[in-house]
Amino acid sequence: MTYLINLLVVAYIVSLIYLSKVELLKNYVRILAVQGLIIFFVAISELKDADVLHLLFVLVETLLFKAIFVPLFMQRVIKRSGKAKNSGMYIKPYASVVMATIFVAIAFAIVESIHDKHLEIKYFTAAISSIIIGLYVGINHRDIITHLVSYMIIENGIFLIALALGGEMPILVNSAILLDIFSSILIMGIFLNKIKDYFHTTDDNELTQLKD
Amino acid sequence: MIIPFLIFSIIFALLALLIRKPAISHFITFLYSLFLCYFAYYQYNHIGVTESTYFRVDHLAIIFLILQAIIDLYASIHYYNYTKSRGDLPKSICQHNMGRIIFNMSVAGVLLANHFGILWAFMEATTLAASLLIYHDRTVHALEGTWKYVFICSIGIAIAFAGILFLSIGATEAGITDLSYEMVKENIGKINPFWLKACFIFILTGFSVKMGLVPLYNVDIDAKDVSPSPVGAKLSSVLMNAGFVAIFRFYDAIAPSINLIWMNNVLLIVGMLSLIFAVAYIIKVNNFKRLLAYSSMEHASLAMIAFSCGGIGYFAAILHLIVHSLVKSTLFLQFAQMHRIFKEKDYQKMGAYLKINPLGALVLFLAYLAIIGLPPSSMFISEIYIFESIYNSKLWYLSIPVCLLLLFIVYAISVRVFHILMGKGEKTEINKEGKNNFESGLQIAVLSVVFYLGIVKPDVVVHYISTAISTLPH
Repeated sequence: MTYLINLLVVAYIVSLIYLSKVELLKNYVRILAVQGLIIFFVAISELKDADVLHLLFVLVETLLFKAIFVPLFMQRVIKRSGKAKNSGMYIKPYASVVMATIFVAIAFAIVESIHDKHLEIKYFTAAISSIIIGLYVGINHRDIITHLVSYMIIENGIFLIALALGGEMPILVNSAILLDIFSSILIMGIFLNKIKDYFHTTDDNELTQLKD
Repeated sequence: MIIPFLIFSIIFALLALLIRKPAISHFITFLYSLFLCYFAYYQYNHIGVTESTYFRVDHLAIIFLILQAIIDLYASIHYYNYTKSRGDLPKSICQHNMGRIIFNMSVAGVLLANHFGILWAFMEATTLAASLLIYHDRTVHALEGTWKYVFICSIGIAIAFAGILFLSIGATEAGITDLSYEMVKENIGKINPFWLKACFIFILTGFSVKMGLVPLYNVDIDAKDVSPSPVGAKLSSVLMNAGFVAIFRFYDAIAPSINLIWMNNVLLIVGMLSLIFAVAYIIKVNNFKRLLAYSSMEHASLAMIAFSCGGIGYFAAILHLIVHSLVKSTLFLQFAQMHRIFKEKDYQKMGAYLKINPLGALVLFLAYLAIIGLPPSSMFISEIYIFESIYNSKLWYLSIPVCLLLLFIVYAISVRVFHILMGKGEKTEINKEGKNNFESGLQIAVLSVVFYLGIVKPDVVVHYISTAISTLPH
């Protein structure tokens, strides 16, 4: 079982590195769905001793929300944008793969340096990599659809930190947090569509009118 | 009372949205503002009561809750005139009113939360509600400002959530099962300092977007610029205070640990950097609304510098934020009138305001005196305390750059305000019907409170602030 979990975590990290070079928008949907599924299996294996309510909550949060709802929602947003490829990157794809690999190495070095015996190193490395690569992807791309994807990758990373933590927040707090994340993705999707309607593009070069 | 308040807020919000008649929607929102005042009064009489594990009313929450209720009522009157003069669509008015009620509910939730997770959830809700308010005008600028605000705020709040999880890791290792303020504070000595430091850095970075501080300040400036002035008034006061309270809660919980000096140094760096950035922008900005936004950043940074110095600095920071909220909301609301008259944001195109709208010009002049901290403004008193705290913390040499930076700001604001009051504006088409003496009269009443606080030091204010900071190390 541990071997399988390790394999899943490695697959998650590989998906992050792949994400850094993706140009076709439909691949974002696939990556988000795969990451959602990986997180679901990892969460189920980690929380096998949890009570039914917590398990049900994790099921909703990972399988329904991260693996099904978010990718479907993104697919809809991409379809509505009428674009197949993103608007380009500041750092070229091959260099981005190198950068993402370096970020994973840095994340591993940071986590190793913490020296905390309670910490699940594999989850924490994946989580920190997810946050750093999510920020990198957001900064490196000019396309606001990619920005939305980068936010979701950061959210996945934060979920993995919670998993590395082992302990649980009360279900009410967890529900409020999930509801907020759900609403923020919905609202960002709505505004993204409005930007597309207004500018006929999702390139963030158009969003430069507010200056001093 | 807090749970019923949340339920009633949602009912009010739905009514304001679903009844698509602007007059009724405004009336519902006005009733809600009165309800918020009653709620603040009720909580004032129930200080120290813990409700449903997740909420608690303390002196800090009450100070900012009362301020929120006053500013909401104040802004709601101006918002009515704002929509009337523009002929906005019923749909956008109703959506705005709903957003305003949810925004107030969320800010009250942040102030009254007794659990770090709940505080985070309400803080994120403020972002979502604020996005509706900022997008009100449905212009291309509003769309750009809203997208940037929602996106960067969501990233910031996600970073803050990572901070809460770091705290949670430390707490779990120390055997703490609950992230309520008291529980964390009581057992703070058992938590690994590494996690506390990681938590504080992430929290400060994440919530900087709400307080308008470095590093995530810029979307806050854009949001205040593109949103209607009554919304800018609330973002510069109510939301900024909520950001401060969130940082305060973490600081208060972590302060008894060995990280106090380190935390103060971090706050000082953030405060100084924010002040430098604010000055750099203020001296070159022509858009008067953006000037007001950068001025909010300046005052947030002063509050942070005072807070980092400890001792009387804690008192100064809270007093400064209270006074700033009243003055800055007045300036934003007066700007709404100026914008109706000149249809401009660029100060160079405005002029002879004293001649066009004498009462409005008086408000602008009094607010200018208050914001630059001239006596008898109570901001003068709070700034004196800020400098006293800098001296007391043996960082006297810091007062020199702070003074110099403030001089630049005073110069930049003075040039712009006097140009508007007495200069020759480039704009020839002026809408004199835009002036509103009732609004200006209301603003003078609020400013008179600011000056009253500078002359008389009311015991009740001193008592509430002193009690709010009594748990902090002196």
